[in-house]
Amino acid sequence: MLISDATMTTLHAALTGLAQRQRVTADNIANVQTPGFLAGRTDFESSLRTELRQGRTPAVSGGSIARSLEPTREDGNNVNLDSETVIATETGLRYQFALTALDGKYGGLRTALRTS
Amino acid sequence: MFDGLDISGSGISVHRRWMDAVSDNIANINTVSSTDGEAFKERMVVAQAVDYGSGEGGVRIAGAEFGSGEGRLVYEPDHPLADSEGYVRYPDIDLGDQMTQLIMAQRGYQANLASLERATTAYQAALQLGKG
Repeated sequence: MLISDATMTTLHAALTGLAQRQRVTADNIANVQTPGFLAGRTDFESSLRTELRQGRTPAVSGGSIARSLEPTREDGNNVNLDSETVIATETGLRYQFALTALDGKYGGLRTALRTS
Repeated sequence: MFDGLDISGSGISVHRRWMDAVSDNIANINTVSSTDGEAFKERMVVAQAVDYGSGEGGVRIAGAEFGSGEGRLVYEPDHPLADSEGYVRYPDIDLGDQMTQLIMAQRGYQANLASLERATTAYQAALQLGKG
């Protein structure tokens, strides 16, 4: 389809996965003092990469969530505020990057639609 | 729709309530009771993850636990609550421990607030999509 080609769908899938990672990171930070809480880790890149390698248009669905296996503190919690902050910052920037790319696609589309 | 804000909001609220509990403990650190009653008990909030499996449910206060009401006996014969032997009961709360908890709660609050701001920035950027 013209409006939602493979690039747009891929960017949409990336945005969905990044937004999910942002939420999971927020959840980790919210649970920084919850006893027995293991930090959540989101992975959407591997399935996205597999689908793109096989030449398919990826499905827009969230990634999978696994629990971090890092050593825990005395209360059974392994949330590390430093790494969560790094992940959140990186995810935020990547999200904006993907948004800019999608915006560029829409800009091109708008140019193509414009009559002389 | 803006779930990211709720998650950070739950963290902010849990940490604020933790600060409230610590403040209450510190405020009552010198609350005297008679020896036939219980001393003021330290309040400890218990955090619990909401919908742990989803990884984006946030956090809530599951309840409170209380420290020992035994306290420590102090010899103050002039105190109106003193018993026949001149003793009163003081809560057994360690100020150093409370201050440590207060700082941890404060830092957690700030971390959640920063997380809320990051989510806001992302949502605002997304709302500008297609406007260019």
